[in-house]
Amino acid sequence: MKKSLRDMRPVYVVGIGLHRYQRLSETPYVTLGLAAVRHALADAALEWRSVESAYTGTAVIGMAASRPMLRHLGATGIPMAQVENASASGSTAFRQACLDVASGLTDVSLAIGVDKPGPFAMAPSKTRMRDLVGSRMVPWTHFALLAQEYMTRWGVSAEQIGMVAVKNRRNGASNPYAQRQKAVTLEEVMAGPAISGSLTRLQCCPIGEGAAAVIVASGDAIAQLGIDRKRAVRVIASVSKTERVYRGAKNWDAELTRETVEDAYREAGVGPGDLDLMELHDAFTIEELLYVEAMGLCAPGKAAGAIAAGEFDIGGRCAVSASGGLIAMGHPIGPTGVGQIAEITRNLRGEAGVRQQPNAKTGLAHMVGVGAVCVVHILQKEA
Amino acid sequence: MPNRIAVHPELYSPDSAGNPPLNGGKCRACGYVFFPPQSYGCESCGAPPEKLEPVQLAGSGTLHSYATVHLHMGKDIEAPFTIGLIVLDDGPAISSTLANRTDEGLAIGDRMKSVLVAAGTDQQGIEMVELRFAKAEERK
Repeated sequence: MKKSLRDMRPVYVVGIGLHRYQRLSETPYVTLGLAAVRHALADAALEWRSVESAYTGTAVIGMAASRPMLRHLGATGIPMAQVENASASGSTAFRQACLDVASGLTDVSLAIGVDKPGPFAMAPSKTRMRDLVGSRMVPWTHFALLAQEYMTRWGVSAEQIGMVAVKNRRNGASNPYAQRQKAVTLEEVMAGPAISGSLTRLQCCPIGEGAAAVIVASGDAIAQLGIDRKRAVRVIASVSKTERVYRGAKNWDAELTRETVEDAYREAGVGPGDLDLMELHDAFTIEELLYVEAMGLCAPGKAAGAIAAGEFDIGGRCAVSASGGLIAMGHPIGPTGVGQIAEITRNLRGEAGVRQQPNAKTGLAHMVGVGAVCVVHILQKEA
Repeated sequence: MPNRIAVHPELYSPDSAGNPPLNGGKCRACGYVFFPPQSYGCESCGAPPEKLEPVQLAGSGTLHSYATVHLHMGKDIEAPFTIGLIVLDDGPAISSTLANRTDEGLAIGDRMKSVLVAAGTDQQGIEMVELRFAKAEERK
């Protein structure tokens, strides 16, 4: 009989580390990645030789990224592989690390995300299926179309959608790892420049460089390696899905998130009312409204009102993107999904400082990617 | 020598009169209608290429959403231009450049029709045409 993550042995996040997300610099990806891994090892109080497998979420730096970076921690001979899954590359690397531990293949595994902007190829452009718009259709126009449809359907204004950027920039202002660390006003967000439809530049995430690392471990490893059990956070759901053909349904992005999150709720045995915080794929402001509704956090058409009422603020009923999200923390592609796990872990440990969601017990991480793919994890502090 | 050629010859004919149809595909196994055409296999039911057949889709539909693009790095068109998401009367939802540069006068729910617009000339000086969508004239 097939099993979910929950049916296998427990997996815990025991170490997190980041290199700040930032604009493209001369820093080699090796330096970015090693900084994140060394922080994660120190956070877990583990030696590198305890790590038994490593997955590198990376989409754009190129073939064979892992060992040329990780060998500088000591070439221990462990299995390493790159994981490319578009914007969900880091989330998928984390999932692979969790599956290694859950299945018993390893006791300690590493997920790292690292990327630097540069030239890269997109496989979908090589399918030889040409449509009418080609390169005229870019991600921000895809989401501008969804924004226009949403505004018309629910009578929501462009400014109400722009409030997502105000909230997430406020959160990012206190995140030392965020690419954008300055709060902005709604006037600044809406002042432009206009990018596509109602979306302005500050409603689009910055794509820079950075790294994030997470170490996961089994209960056996926690006991044998002297890891602090009180700071360990359990992974109670890991779900990865891809788009189906949704006949009749117009918003395929929302449908994919709805299906994936429903599976994750079922696996974890929780519902939207149990979530204290979540990190979601807010590459563009409109996405936050679409996804919190698809996840059941509020009724369709009600997200803008909930945001205005502070329900998704830190201290609200569910803190959405306490890290600043992709809008403020940034979206360096490979690191993004791993960085979400780090932020949720920090909150569930009660170590998030001014970004701390009070009494946080359960958190959800959500990424989507071109293709289209969706990867969701739910983490929980053990009582 | 043809009088004119299509920018996307696989998607429409450059010589259509009226509202040019689009070249789509249909699965004989499950009835799924799709655009753009392909002969790899059915996305809906997995039927193999021999079950897929070309089908012409009427160049008419309803505007589901639109966005005027202000920032564009591509070289084949200058911003601003407007992209429409149109649900064709024959089923598929497609994205198309709209004939008008801006969204002035557009509303979701508008009836839309395909039109061929001039798109410069190729290297031999032959006129090129591109299929776009425009708001359908209201019947008087």
